[in-house]
Amino acid sequence: MARGEIVIDENFCKGCGYCSKFCARGCIEQNGDRFSPQGYILAVFAHPEKCNACGVCAWMCPDHAIEAYRLVEAQTTAHS
Amino acid sequence: MNGESREGLALFGGVLGVPPKALKSPLPASRERGDTGGERTSDHMQRQLVAGRPDAWMRLEFNPIPTCPGCQEPTATRAVLDVLEEMGMEGEAILVPGVGCHSLIPFMLDLDHVMSAHGRPPDLASAIKRVLGRGAADRALPLVFTLQGDGDCIAIGAGSLVNAAARSENITVLMLNNVNYGTTGGQMSPTTPLGHATSTTPGGRTPDYGYPVRVPEMLATFQGVAYAARGAVNTPANYQKTRAYIKKAFQTQMAGRGLSMVEVLCSCPPDWHMTPLNSLKWIEAHIIPQFPLGEFKGP
Repeated sequence: MARGEIVIDENFCKGCGYCSKFCARGCIEQNGDRFSPQGYILAVFAHPEKCNACGVCAWMCPDHAIEAYRLVEAQTTAHS
Repeated sequence: MNGESREGLALFGGVLGVPPKALKSPLPASRERGDTGGERTSDHMQRQLVAGRPDAWMRLEFNPIPTCPGCQEPTATRAVLDVLEEMGMEGEAILVPGVGCHSLIPFMLDLDHVMSAHGRPPDLASAIKRVLGRGAADRALPLVFTLQGDGDCIAIGAGSLVNAAARSENITVLMLNNVNYGTTGGQMSPTTPLGHATSTTPGGRTPDYGYPVRVPEMLATFQGVAYAARGAVNTPANYQKTRAYIKKAFQTQMAGRGLSMVEVLCSCPPDWHMTPLNSLKWIEAHIIPQFPLGEFKGP
């Protein structure tokens, strides 16, 4: 399984909850522990080990706060 | 970009109560075009960008998008930008926004745009296309498209739209339909479905107030319209389909076949008086049955 991680921009997140609803693996939680500078309940990337880098959270985020990355093996250089 | 427009953009952050200087994005500030965002997280793992902000948003200053929480108009705009990026047409596109909540979005994009009067984007887009149009396939370039709300498109701008369709102008009309007048407080619009409560029809729209206008179906009856479709962005599947519709609409225009139109159903949680998640359920349960998704006229 591909591994992935997401970065949530806390200044952009408005706490609508679309990312946590559409994440098929339940990686994102919105439990009211953390708040944005504007007072919105932040989405938190709580379970990085479950993420498979599908990118659905980034599509569905209306505020463009999420960037999804796939983690791949770094390319080795010639001498190593 | 010069200092003046930076200050103008900083106003959006000020409106939302965040001092613009306080904004520091954890995302890489200057991502080159085509860069995969590769960054080493540890000695043996590397990050590859799967999905993120479209490049047209990336190139400008970081400020939160000035829409309400859960508003899907930026999601629909993302679908448009994704298609432009995929087709490599960002430099050839001219956006003609109408008046509505989405009017703020073009000012945050690194995309050519000409602001139009309320309801008149099809007129202005026709003029731009006729003046600047070039290319073999009946003036295929530049790619001129409008971004309109439902009030802008079919209430005040109905005459413009219908006459542009009758003249078979080679433009693309994108209508973001949130089934009410979102900017002014959620009054009933021509596209409000039956049973939907607005501030002017608190008990839900009944046939006493008339029936909703189904724009792509109406435009599909015009000979001059080459493509008419309706999509939604309430689920990832619908988002992908909407992206495909928008791409087909742009390809129709570049082939010079005539007017192409895509309607996108968007949620408007504050004016519907719902939470964002409930508004998506409402779209699925009550709006899509009255506004069926799909293509009504195709190439």
